[in-house]
Amino acid sequence: MMMSARHPQFELLDIVHRYDGKKALEIGRLVLQGGEIYGFVGPNGSGKTTLLYIMNLLLRPTEGQIFFEGKPIYEGANCRSSAQRKMTMVLQNPYLFDTTVEKNLEYSLKLRGLPREKRLGLVRDALDEVGLVGFEKRRARQLSGGEVQLVGLARALALGPGVLFLDEPTANVDAKRIRQLENIITKINRERGTTVVLTTHNLDEAYRIAHRVFSLFEGNLVSPTMHNLFKGAIRTSPEGTCFDTGKIRIQIPSEYKDSESEHATVDPDEIILSREPFVSSARNSFAGAIVQISSEGDRVYLDVESGEVFRVEITGQSFREMGLNVRSRVYLTFKATSVHIL
Amino acid sequence: MSYFTEGLFTAGRLLFAVDPEVYGIVGRSLRISLTATFFASLVGVPLGFLIGSRDFRGKAIVVIVVHTLMALPTVVVGLLGYAILSRQAPLGFLELLFTPRAIIMGEFILSLPIITALTISAIHGLDRRAVLTAQTLGAGKFRVAWTSLMEARYSVLAAVIVGFGRAASEVGSAMMLGGNIRFYTRTMTTAIALETSKGEFGFALALGLFLLLVVFSVNILLHLFQMKGRVR
Repeated sequence: MMMSARHPQFELLDIVHRYDGKKALEIGRLVLQGGEIYGFVGPNGSGKTTLLYIMNLLLRPTEGQIFFEGKPIYEGANCRSSAQRKMTMVLQNPYLFDTTVEKNLEYSLKLRGLPREKRLGLVRDALDEVGLVGFEKRRARQLSGGEVQLVGLARALALGPGVLFLDEPTANVDAKRIRQLENIITKINRERGTTVVLTTHNLDEAYRIAHRVFSLFEGNLVSPTMHNLFKGAIRTSPEGTCFDTGKIRIQIPSEYKDSESEHATVDPDEIILSREPFVSSARNSFAGAIVQISSEGDRVYLDVESGEVFRVEITGQSFREMGLNVRSRVYLTFKATSVHIL
Repeated sequence: MSYFTEGLFTAGRLLFAVDPEVYGIVGRSLRISLTATFFASLVGVPLGFLIGSRDFRGKAIVVIVVHTLMALPTVVVGLLGYAILSRQAPLGFLELLFTPRAIIMGEFILSLPIITALTISAIHGLDRRAVLTAQTLGAGKFRVAWTSLMEARYSVLAAVIVGFGRAASEVGSAMMLGGNIRFYTRTMTTAIALETSKGEFGFALALGLFLLLVVFSVNILLHLFQMKGRVR
């Protein structure tokens, strides 16, 4: 896909979206570069799908501006329609038209006025890409859930989009198909240079597929993941301002003393893990025990129980050098400024 | 021999002897009803789509009015049509009264609310993802509308068939606006009413059988079409 070197593919500025007056999404600035895979993680109602609809131009935000390849989308009809032709979306539960698989895939190609021979070639290639060659004449309504998901993806691929939005692509797929879908998604990005923007509930999946992962919580982007998200209240005491979860007290900058926020998060990257108490100026230090270990590539994720469960991220080398295991006693240290009040 | 048995014999004789008057009435009735249904569909389906697919202030009231019009008495349509088309009436200069076109107008008015209301229901019943999917694949407004109608085609076709049934079977407006003129505006229903009142039970029964046969054939076609879509 041709891209301007100067401009990011997407730039969202001061986006606010409201449903019936209620704020569902608020994003100050979000920049997406072409050719990357972006994962948006968050619980139900966090605004993931709304954000996807806004970026796919299916929904016009109540406030804010969207730039696609440097051009403002909602200033002139042509900008919007030309941008829309470069992107498509696969819904969480794809809808297939009540006809054959082939006609479903041909639909968007017909809209673009491609001759039948070319259409059929693209349909064949797209079905080949998702491993469904031979399904052309099958009725869409007779496919299994996993096949529907793959045909939905093939229909999007047939278009050759510059940007592909995937709303919870593995939510309705059995475990056997999840890896297949993930492989297809990474292959599309690698071989075609397609920008992929996906949403998921599954943080591990987001990290497996995406180059960058964003977390959404109550319509806001939170950095960088949903781990270490605590509910509680801000308290002020002679020792300073803290966030009281009911189980532990996390020291936070005094500037938040008047905030009424009920949520705080700590970036797993900013927590120092040590076998012995770590002497530093950091105001938060908790002793705990490792309760779960998982890894992805060279990254190792440790869940540490220390009143609350903290997610800590370290490198594989550090993990091996420290000789850590489940139930190992460890210390967590982080600065008050590492705590983000939402 | 009872009236009914005698009537059946007469009906059989008229049907198999290809009585020109009977077949003329049947042909005229079909032409009038199909034309009225065609125009009612042309207006009712898009209107039903617009009402069904959009949320606007007062939509509930519009839907209630359309539903109420489904039960519009045929004689009321005949009466209103007469009041508008008769010689001294506002549209009297068109000289449509007692012509097949006047009957078409009456049947159009009777079919339109039925086709509109059932199309609204068909669109309300359509999966919302159909529209979203068409949009994500780059369809413009008209293409999205067409795709929605295609996805709801079995229900929309049923709406058209019911509209045709209403047009083909009504007698009140056809009698009042067409005048039941032999070889000109006499339709199956007006002929049945006339012949029955004259005691020509066999002739009336032959036409009744034809009317049933036409409606039955149309419904079989609809059924086959729906089965084809579901079984394959």
